[in-house]
Amino acid sequence: MKASRLVTLFAATVAASLFSGAAPAADDSLAAIKARGVVKIAVFSDKPPFGYVDKFGKNQGYDVYFARRFARELLGDENKIEFVLVEPAARVDVLESGRVDIVLANFTVTPERAKRVDFAKPYFKTAIGVVSNDNTPIAREGDLQGKKLIVIRGTTADVYFSKIKGIELVKYDQIGDAFQALRDGRGVGLAQDTTLVLAWANENKGFSVKLGDVGNVDPIAPAVRKGNTELRDWINDTLVKLGKERFAHAAYDATLKPYYGGDTNPDDLVVEGGEF
Amino acid sequence: MMPPVSYATGACKVFSLDYANMLESAPLFARAALTTLKISTAGIALALIIGLACAFLLYLRIPLAGRPVRAYIELSRNTPLLVQLFLLHFGLKVDAMPCSVAALAFLGGGYMAEALRGGLEAVERAQIESALSLGLSRWQTLCFVILPQALIVAVPALGANVIFLLKETSVVSVVAVTDIVAVAKDLISLYYETTEALIMLVLVYLVLLLPICLAIRHLERRVKHVAFGN
Repeated sequence: MKASRLVTLFAATVAASLFSGAAPAADDSLAAIKARGVVKIAVFSDKPPFGYVDKFGKNQGYDVYFARRFARELLGDENKIEFVLVEPAARVDVLESGRVDIVLANFTVTPERAKRVDFAKPYFKTAIGVVSNDNTPIAREGDLQGKKLIVIRGTTADVYFSKIKGIELVKYDQIGDAFQALRDGRGVGLAQDTTLVLAWANENKGFSVKLGDVGNVDPIAPAVRKGNTELRDWINDTLVKLGKERFAHAAYDATLKPYYGGDTNPDDLVVEGGEF
Repeated sequence: MMPPVSYATGACKVFSLDYANMLESAPLFARAALTTLKISTAGIALALIIGLACAFLLYLRIPLAGRPVRAYIELSRNTPLLVQLFLLHFGLKVDAMPCSVAALAFLGGGYMAEALRGGLEAVERAQIESALSLGLSRWQTLCFVILPQALIVAVPALGANVIFLLKETSVVSVVAVTDIVAVAKDLISLYYETTEALIMLVLVYLVLLLPICLAIRHLERRVKHVAFGN
C-alpha cells in the first residue's frame, strides 16, 4: 500500500514537472511578434458574416477585416497573418496554449471568460432583437404588451422575456420551427440575438427588425492571453486610432451590410474607438 | 496537516434537491396540468366518437365504407403523434391547441375503432337476426342489444387506450403548447433545475394518471359483474 502510494506520488511529481516544463515561455510579446514577422490570429471558418472562408479559400468577414488591419498596423503588411481557425469552444484554449496571439472570433465578453483571458476594448456589440411582420411592426418593448412573442427555449431572449410580465411567450425548441411559426403568424414577433434576426429579416421579405437593442447590450472584443497587457494595450490604442477614421463602419459596409441590408442602422452593432 | 475530508458530500449531493424550488414550481405545473387534461379530454372524447363510427361502419359492412375506414385506421395507428402534430401545425397551419386536440383524436380514433370492433365482433351476429325478428328496429338492435355487450368486452382495451392517449400528449410542447412537459423544459433551460423539474414531471403525470387508472379498473370489475353476475 505504502509503496504504491509512493509510486503514485513520484509519478505525479514527474508529470507535474513535465507539464510545467512543456508550457512554452509566452512568445506573444510585441517584440516577439515583430521578430517573428507574422501575427497569429484565431478566427472562425464557418460563421459568416463574422469569420468564414470564402469559395476561393480566403478568410473573410468582419473579424477578418479587423485582423488584417491589425497586421498592417503592427507589421506594415496586412498579409503578415497566420489565421488559425477555431470553434467557439476552443477560443480560450488557443490563447492559453500559445497557439495564437489574438482571438478575433465574435468573442462576447463575459465575467467567466474574463477570468481566463484578457479582453481588449470592444469593436462590436450584440443585444436581443425582435423581428416582426411589417404589417404589425414592433418598435418598442411596450408594443409587445398583451401580445404573443415567439422565442427559442433556453436562449438569452427566453431568459430576458420570461421575467417580463404581460407578454405571452410562444416557445419552440428548434430555431427553424420558431421562424416558421413567425411566418405563420403565431406571434407578433420573434426575439433572438440581434445579429441573427437581422440576417433572417434581410432574407425574408415582409419582415424587419425595428427593435434591435433589447436587454443587456453585450460587448464583443478581441482577446489576448491572460496577463499579456502589452498586446492588449496596443490593441486598445489601435482601436482608438481606428475610431478616428470610423474604421468599424467601413468594416461594416464591406462585410456585414450585404447580410443585414440597407435598412439596418450600423450604430446598433458596431463600436468605434472601443467606446462602448 | 490533512484537511478534514467529508465523504458524505459527494453521495448526498445526488439527493440534495431544492425542495423549495419544487414547491414553488407546483402552481406552474398545476396550470399546465389543466392544459394537458383539456387536450386529453377533448381528444379522447373525439377519438371515441370517431372510433365508434368506424367500428360500426366495419361491423355493419356498409358498402364502400370498408376500405377508406381501414385505410384511416392503418394511417392513424402507424404514424407517430409527433409527425401528425408537425403536419397539422406547420403544414396545414392549424393553431396549437386545436391542432393538439385534432392530432390526438386522429391518432386515438384508429385505436378506439380497433378496440370497439373487437368488442362488436365478440357479439354473435345471430343476435342481430333474433332482435330484428322480435320486431326491434336496426337502430334499436344496435344500441340496446349489440353495443352494450360489445362495450363490456371492449372496456379493458378502451381503458388502456385512454391511458395511452393521455401519456401521448407529452409531445404537444413541440407546437408551443404549454403542457406540463413544456413547464419542465422551461425550468431546466432557464434555471437549470433539471432533476427537480423532471421529478416534478413524473409526480404530476402520476397524480393525473393514477386516479384514471384506478377508475378504469373499478369500471372493469363492475362490467364483469354486469356480464357474468356475482
